[in-house]
Amino acid sequence: MANKTIQGTNRKISLNTRNTVVGLSFILPNFIGFALFTLGPVVFSFILSFMKWDGFTEMTFAGLKNFQKIFGDKKFLESLGHTFYFAFFTVLFSMTAALALALLLNRKVKFVNFFRSSIFFPYVASVVAISCVWKAMFMENGGVINSALQMIGFAEDMLPGWIASTKWAMPAVIIVSVWRNMGYFMIIYLAALQDIPTSLYEAAEIDGASKWQQFVRITFPMLTPSHFFVFMMLTINSFKTFDMIFLMTEGGPGTATQLLSMYIYNKAFISWDYGVTSAASMILFLIVATITVLQFRVEKKFNDFM
Amino acid sequence: MKMKRIAAAGLTAVMAASVLTACGGATSSSSGSTGTSSSGSTGTSSSGSTASGEQVTLKVSLWDATSNPADLAAIEAFEAANPDIKIDLIDIPSNDYNTKLNTMLNGGSQLDVFFIKQADSTKSFYDKGQLLDLTDYIAESGVDLSGFNGTADGFAFNGKQYGLPVRTDYYVLYYNKDLFDAKGIAYPSNDMTWTEFEKLAGELSGDGNYGAYMHTWQAMAYNWGIQDGKNTVLSYETGYDFVKPYYEMLLRMQDAGYIQDYGQLKSGNIHYSGAFAQGNVAMMPMGTWFLGTMKSKVESGEAKFNWGVATLPHPDGVEAGYTVGASTPLAINSATKNADAAWRFVEFMTGEEGSAVYAKEGYIPARSDSTILDTVAANEGMPEGLAEALQTKNIVPDRPIADHVGDVDLVLGEQHSMIMLGEATIDDALADLTSQVKDIMEG
Repeated sequence: MANKTIQGTNRKISLNTRNTVVGLSFILPNFIGFALFTLGPVVFSFILSFMKWDGFTEMTFAGLKNFQKIFGDKKFLESLGHTFYFAFFTVLFSMTAALALALLLNRKVKFVNFFRSSIFFPYVASVVAISCVWKAMFMENGGVINSALQMIGFAEDMLPGWIASTKWAMPAVIIVSVWRNMGYFMIIYLAALQDIPTSLYEAAEIDGASKWQQFVRITFPMLTPSHFFVFMMLTINSFKTFDMIFLMTEGGPGTATQLLSMYIYNKAFISWDYGVTSAASMILFLIVATITVLQFRVEKKFNDFM
Repeated sequence: MKMKRIAAAGLTAVMAASVLTACGGATSSSSGSTGTSSSGSTGTSSSGSTASGEQVTLKVSLWDATSNPADLAAIEAFEAANPDIKIDLIDIPSNDYNTKLNTMLNGGSQLDVFFIKQADSTKSFYDKGQLLDLTDYIAESGVDLSGFNGTADGFAFNGKQYGLPVRTDYYVLYYNKDLFDAKGIAYPSNDMTWTEFEKLAGELSGDGNYGAYMHTWQAMAYNWGIQDGKNTVLSYETGYDFVKPYYEMLLRMQDAGYIQDYGQLKSGNIHYSGAFAQGNVAMMPMGTWFLGTMKSKVESGEAKFNWGVATLPHPDGVEAGYTVGASTPLAINSATKNADAAWRFVEFMTGEEGSAVYAKEGYIPARSDSTILDTVAANEGMPEGLAEALQTKNIVPDRPIADHVGDVDLVLGEQHSMIMLGEATIDDALADLTSQVKDIMEG
C-alpha cells in the first residue's frame, strides 16, 4: 500500500533511491537523538580539549596545554594506573566467574531458574543500595565479611581493612564490581552454551574424551564469539565505572581508588576546568577505542582461522 | 529627585557593563532598571514601582526549601510587605545545588536572585561575571554593613560588594546533660580550652558511652587549627603545622576510645545527627544549623535526653568566643532584568525584618546582635543558657573566599582520611598536602 502511493506520486525517482530514503527515514528519529545528545557533545568535547574554558567566560585557544597539564599531573597518572588495575582484574574475574556459573547452571538441576535469577539480580539492583550494603559488610570491625573470616580461623591482625585501607580498598571495589557483572554475562554465556550442538559432545564421548578435554577442546573454543563480546563489554564498562566507587569510597582512602572517571568528575565539577576535563576524557576515549579496535582485529583473525 | 535620576543612570551604566562582560545573558536589562526607580529602603513599596503598577516576579533559587521553614517564612514575610513582587522559588535538593546553580547561571537562565550554598564559591561566580555589583544599592538604601559583624566582608571584591549574608552559622558545643549528671560531672562551661575538652571527654567515656563525637569531616581538625584567625586552609606556606596538634588530639581520642572510630563511621554511613541523638555521646562540636534539627529530634522523641549547648572550646591562648563558621550569602544574577526588585528582596532578607523572621524560627541570621540571639534562644524547645552560649567574639570563616578552595578542599579530604585511618603519619600526610596545595595555588 505504502509502496503504491509513493510510486504514484514520485514516478521519476528510481526504486533504489526510494528505498534509501525510506530506510533513512526509519532510522532518522534514532539518529537525531544520537546526534543531539551523543555525537554533538562528543565533538564539542573534542574541541574543548584544546580550549581553556570555565563554562561561562569566553573560551580561549589553549593548543596542547591541557594535555601537557594532565600528563604533568601526578593525580592523573595515578588515576590512570588505578583504572588499568581495576579494569584488568574486573574483566579477568568477571569473565571467569560468569563462565563458571554458566557451566554450573547449564545443567538440569533443581531450582535452576531460581539460582539463575538470584545471580542475575545484582545487575538490576540499584547501585546506591548495593554500595551501601557492601560498605557495611566491609566494615573492619564487626562487618559481615571480617566476622566470617575470623570464624574460619583468621587471626584478628590478619584481617584486611577493606575500604578503610589503601591496600585493600581496590580489591574490595573489584569484588563488588565482579559480583555485580557476573550475572549478566552468565546469561550471555548460557545462551551461547545452548547453541553448541550436542552432537559434538556425543562424538567426543564415543572417542573417549574426558569432561575436561571436552571443555578445553569443544566448549571453550565454541564460545569464542561470546568471549569477545563479553570481554569488550566488560572492558568498556570497567573503564567507565564511576557510581559504585564514588558511593563506596569516594575515591579514597586518600586517592587509593580514584579512577580516571572520578578524576574527570573532579576536574569538571570542582575545578570547573572544562578544557582539562575534556582532554582527560579524550584520553579515556582513546584507550577504550584502541582496545576495541584491537580486539575487532584479533576477532577477525580468529574467525578466519576457524 | 535629581539625585535619584543620577543614581538610576549610574545603575543603568553599571548593569549594562556587567551585562556586556557576562557573555550571552539578558539583552534588555538596561530598560528594566530605568522603569522602576529603586526606592524602597524598608520594604514600603512607594513611588516608582506602584506607579508603574506592574507585578514583578522574581525567580529565586535555594536548596531544600521544604525542609527549612525559616527561608520560607522570611520569603512569605517579604511578599506580604511587598505586594507588587511575587517570588517564584526554584527548590533544588541540597546535594545537587552547586552543580545545578552553576549550570543554570552558565546557561543564561532567567534566575534573578540566588542563595549561595558554599560561601567560598562566591569568588568563582564573581570571576565569571555572574554577580551584580550591589555597592550603589547599598549606599543608596543606607544599609549598615557593620550589622553583619564582619561576615559581609568576604563578599566584597576589589572594594565592591557582590553579595550580602543572610544567615551565619558557627560552631558550638552540644552536650548530653544526662551523661554528665550520671557521672556527677559539671556541664561544660562557655570558656573551655581544647585541652580541657579532651580531658573531659576522657572522664565521660566508658560503659558504652563516648566522651565526644567527632564527625568524619576534615573540618574537625582544620576548623580548630584556624580558629585563632591567623591561618586559613590555604596557608600551605606554614606546612600546615597549625592543624598538627588537633590531628594528634583526634588520634589520641580515637585510640583511647573517647570517640568512635573514623573508619567505622565512614563504612557505616553514620550521620552526626543520628549519632548524637542516640544518647551515648556526651559532647559534640557542631554548627548552629543543628539547633533546629536537635530541637525537632527531641520533640519527636527520637532523642530521649536533656541537651545543652556551650560555646565552642578554644585553643590555648585564644579568647573564649572565637569560633569558626560560614555565612550563606544572597546574590543577584548580573543578567537579571529585575535588578531593583531583586535588590529589594536582598535588602529585606538580609535586613532587620528578614533577620527577625529567621531568629523567630530558630536560625541565626547574619545580621545579629544580643536581641536576635535572645529571640533565637527563646524558641520553644531550645535548651537553657543558649543565648549566652551563642555569644561570639569573632567568627572565623571556615573557608576563605578565594580561588582554588574547591580543589584544595578535595586534597584536604584525601589526606584527612589517610591520617584518620592510620594509613599515613600526620607528618607525612601534611608534607604531601603542603606540596599538593602549593602546586594547586601556584600552578
